Amino acid sequence: MSDFKMQIQTSASRLLPLLAVALISLLTATTWAAVPGITGQTFNLTAQQSYVTQPDGAAVYSWGYGCATGANVAAPSFLPFPGFCHPMQVPGPTLIVNEGDTVVVTLTNNLPAAAGNTSILFPGFQVSTTDPSNSAVQTGVQGLLTREAASGGGTVTYTFIANKPGTHSYYSGTQSDLQVEMGLYGAVVVLPKNVAGCSNSKGEYSLAVAAYDDLVGATSTVNPSCYDREYLFQFAEMDPRIHTQAEAIATCAAGPGVICPTTMQTVATEPYHPTYFLINGRSMPDDMDANYAPEYPAQPYNGNPHMHPGDLTLVRVIGTGRWQHPFHEHGNHVRVLARDGNLLLSASDSTKLAGPLLFTTTTTPGQALDGIFYWTGKGLNWDIYGHKPGDGSVCIPDANGYYTADSGALNYYEWCADHDKPLETHPYGSVGSGGPATLPDANILADGAWYGGSPYLGPDATANAVGTSPIPPAGTVVNSPTTEAGYAFMWHSHNEREITTNDIFPGGMLMMMLVDPPVFHINEAQ
Amino acid sequence: MRKSHHIWLPVLLVCVGTAIASAQSFKVQCPAKTSLHPSGTASASFAGPVQGTISIHPDFGSDFQLASNDNGGAVKCQEVSGGDGYATMADGTQTYLFGFGPLSGLGLIANGQPGTQLADDFNKPYTDGPNFFNGQPNPNYDPGAPNPNGAITDVAAIMHTGVMNANMPAPLIAIDEDDELFLTLTNVGMIMRPDLFEQHTIHFHGYPNASSFYDGVPDASVAINIGGSFTYYYLAPDAGTYFWHCHITPPEHLQMGMVGQIYVRPRQNRVPSGMSVYQALVNAQGDLRIASNCSKDILCSTPLPAMTTDNSPTGGYSNGTATKMYAYNDGDGSTRYDHEYPIQIHGFDPNFHFVGMTFNPEGFADMKDKYFLLNGRSYPDTVNFQGNWDTSYGTSATPALYTQVSDGTNHPSQPLPTLIQLKQGERALLRISDLDVTEFQTLASVGIPMQVIALNARLLRDEAGNNMYYNTNSITLGGGESLDVILDTCTARGPAPDYACTTKMPTGKYFLYTPQLDHLSNDAENFGGLMTEVVVN
Repeated sequence: MSDFKMQIQTSASRLLPLLAVALISLLTATTWAAVPGITGQTFNLTAQQSYVTQPDGAAVYSWGYGCATGANVAAPSFLPFPGFCHPMQVPGPTLIVNEGDTVVVTLTNNLPAAAGNTSILFPGFQVSTTDPSNSAVQTGVQGLLTREAASGGGTVTYTFIANKPGTHSYYSGTQSDLQVEMGLYGAVVVLPKNVAGCSNSKGEYSLAVAAYDDLVGATSTVNPSCYDREYLFQFAEMDPRIHTQAEAIATCAAGPGVICPTTMQTVATEPYHPTYFLINGRSMPDDMDANYAPEYPAQPYNGNPHMHPGDLTLVRVIGTGRWQHPFHEHGNHVRVLARDGNLLLSASDSTKLAGPLLFTTTTTPGQALDGIFYWTGKGLNWDIYGHKPGDGSVCIPDANGYYTADSGALNYYEWCADHDKPLETHPYGSVGSGGPATLPDANILADGAWYGGSPYLGPDATANAVGTSPIPPAGTVVNSPTTEAGYAFMWHSHNEREITTNDIFPGGMLMMMLVDPPVFHINEAQ
Repeated sequence: MRKSHHIWLPVLLVCVGTAIASAQSFKVQCPAKTSLHPSGTASASFAGPVQGTISIHPDFGSDFQLASNDNGGAVKCQEVSGGDGYATMADGTQTYLFGFGPLSGLGLIANGQPGTQLADDFNKPYTDGPNFFNGQPNPNYDPGAPNPNGAITDVAAIMHTGVMNANMPAPLIAIDEDDELFLTLTNVGMIMRPDLFEQHTIHFHGYPNASSFYDGVPDASVAINIGGSFTYYYLAPDAGTYFWHCHITPPEHLQMGMVGQIYVRPRQNRVPSGMSVYQALVNAQGDLRIASNCSKDILCSTPLPAMTTDNSPTGGYSNGTATKMYAYNDGDGSTRYDHEYPIQIHGFDPNFHFVGMTFNPEGFADMKDKYFLLNGRSYPDTVNFQGNWDTSYGTSATPALYTQVSDGTNHPSQPLPTLIQLKQGERALLRISDLDVTEFQTLASVGIPMQVIALNARLLRDEAGNNMYYNTNSITLGGGESLDVILDTCTARGPAPDYACTTKMPTGKYFLYTPQLDHLSNDAENFGGLMTEVVVN
């Protein structure tokens, strides 16, 4: 596997368009996301230094939380599928706990001595730093915002009750302008306990069936936070000049005429000029590689959302670092459920949501947001499958207007009001005709890497539309017209400068979201 | 003879093939009738969905009918070019830009109005002139039948008009709910950058349940090459303030100016006078496409207002004209306004624009705005109607700002001022969007409170029907965000449904400006930037 990868990287470096690199790295596996992490009630974390890699080839010196190792340290348990938890990763391990759990996090400081103390803040929770076995004793050493783990292997223990479901951030409370920049941040996901109000079953790789508890009203119990699949996106930026200063101090070798600084307090974190913009610790296209991909040992989490038409997709968004990022989801609006684990509910009816509908869910440092997104193609005024009378397709609308009677149908969740409505006036292929639009000659178009091959969704419809001719100029590999042919949408920061990696476009805070046809199985595991 | 036949037949086929390709390369689409709108004329009033059928005429086999609700609407069309041009900054600098320019509705655009037209008007010949922008004569020039708004469909005329005609912001688009929009983009190339074989696209930002094919993201679907046209087809989404932009290398194309505005007017504007707007919204729930049932659809866009008795105003649609204007299908009249102003916030980095003209490597990470733009202009140009304008072009009155491009001709580069003019007691709707690529921007109001009624093209109302509008002195937007603000020059109003003004604000000149004081500059010029005036008479 490693020889194969090296060979690919060598040839990739000779190819000019970075998009070609994107294609090649995606050839190693078709990959998706979910919300991977470690679970349990007791977590042994460490803070350590290592390097994170960027698509421009840079290895950036960073700090991160990770799983402590040792003879007396239990191995972490993973959800929703197995992975690894190295002693350093960016973001830190996602802690997946259940509502009501007493969570105990012990942090060991293995940062270089000059970094000083470190700590973790868990905003939104009542955190105690006393010894769990002896409440008269404080763990760790005195800090400004919380108790800290002293340098040179010191420890501190944080205990809190996970009483609020939802998505929460965690990050260092010590010299945060440096430590958060260096990568000391992560997420806590608390799973709700009362979810009887959901009628859907848990998604194949979902952590739960809903993000929040049921809302109990006068006459009914409802749950507006039910979901079919979920993703977690943590947004951060990096100014490599800060990391270089820290690296110089950490790797300084004392000798004749060389006095090594004993503190990182002199690292200048202003002026701030980031050139890397990260989603889950990676820049595009790396963010679309697999979770736990071996080529990124310090960056296990990815950003590669997929869904089927009609899937309720829970989007968990955390802002870290120091800048806001206008995170724009193409394809539809997101209903904001909650902010920092607090459901936004109507003042007159506490079983009804009050969060806004946003097509751009701006991130704020330290703030977490939960929202629900779905895509169905409702209201396009043409049949996304290119159906026409007599082709054997059916679309029987349910109470909401969608075809849900047959969960195995090729057109499951089709918007039936548009069934058999043609798009094209005189199509080339055998899709519906008599529609409003004439497509241009394919020779004057440039096809994107995620182009499914036709305006239609699914390999069946695409084959009908293009006939036996291959799609010019070349078949795509990342959204194959013969197997996937999904609808691709870009989810990205709309401060467009941030979809670059060190001045290279494309890069940075950019992901492609795929609405896959119902027939295409979405494997979140790898 | 036989041999030449074997040679000539394939040659002939190639020639025919090429001819067909080139005939289709520039292609403007605007059908006079569609299945959904078979009469193709101006929209009917809306009192509720009318159940019926539409007729499809396929290539093979007989016509067939499909059940469909008739909510009115019409076929609307617009044509734009994608290329480059120049704009004038408020410190006088002539700045290079990439941009979209109008190829239809030129008279409307130069007048600061949306360029979208009914199909019948779009398809009339363009008779303005006597010359195109580049000096070439317009063979259809007819001073006796002036029509500056017809679409330019002739291939040569498209090039004569489109080249170097980038507008900042891009041509304004406005449609009504239930319309079908045919938006043709023709890539005329970028004359100052012959090294770039750049495609262009149109991304209708915020269009819900968009198809990938018409979403305009080149990596996700298709992009149009130089010398080609692509017609985007949309059924109007739910009413609101959206925007549009190119999606090719966004850090470059958006910074360089390929940004514009599009908004959708609510069908509440078409409610006839015999019906209350609340009743019309109740009736609309009978069509699943336009209904908002929040207990079944978490993305419900306009729930019914929480109202125990119907005290909403009656409709104002009369003889094809909306006499009462609303921003959203509020069902209670709370988003009514007298004048609307689309305002797009943007920022230019002059260094990047210079580099963009001169083949140098682009430092995306270094981008820093030095010009802060409202509708492509900075103060005082935001309220300026002067500029060089070329009378030989033919349009009579114009609020456009003209810029000389590199062939010496003057083009109406920035057609939209941001001067807000109101009579005492009137309400202005500010449709504010931001497409800045580097930082967030704040716009504040001095003297007249801002009431934010919608965010990201969706009414601020909870799922129980309570309005969640809020008053503020400033709004802050990042790139890719929009919101709607009502400026009300009345400080006290009577009850529903008339909301008559009982206390008016004093007349005078008020200001919208940015409290990010470093953005009140035009590069090195100390005063200017993100600022405009609100004149109350």
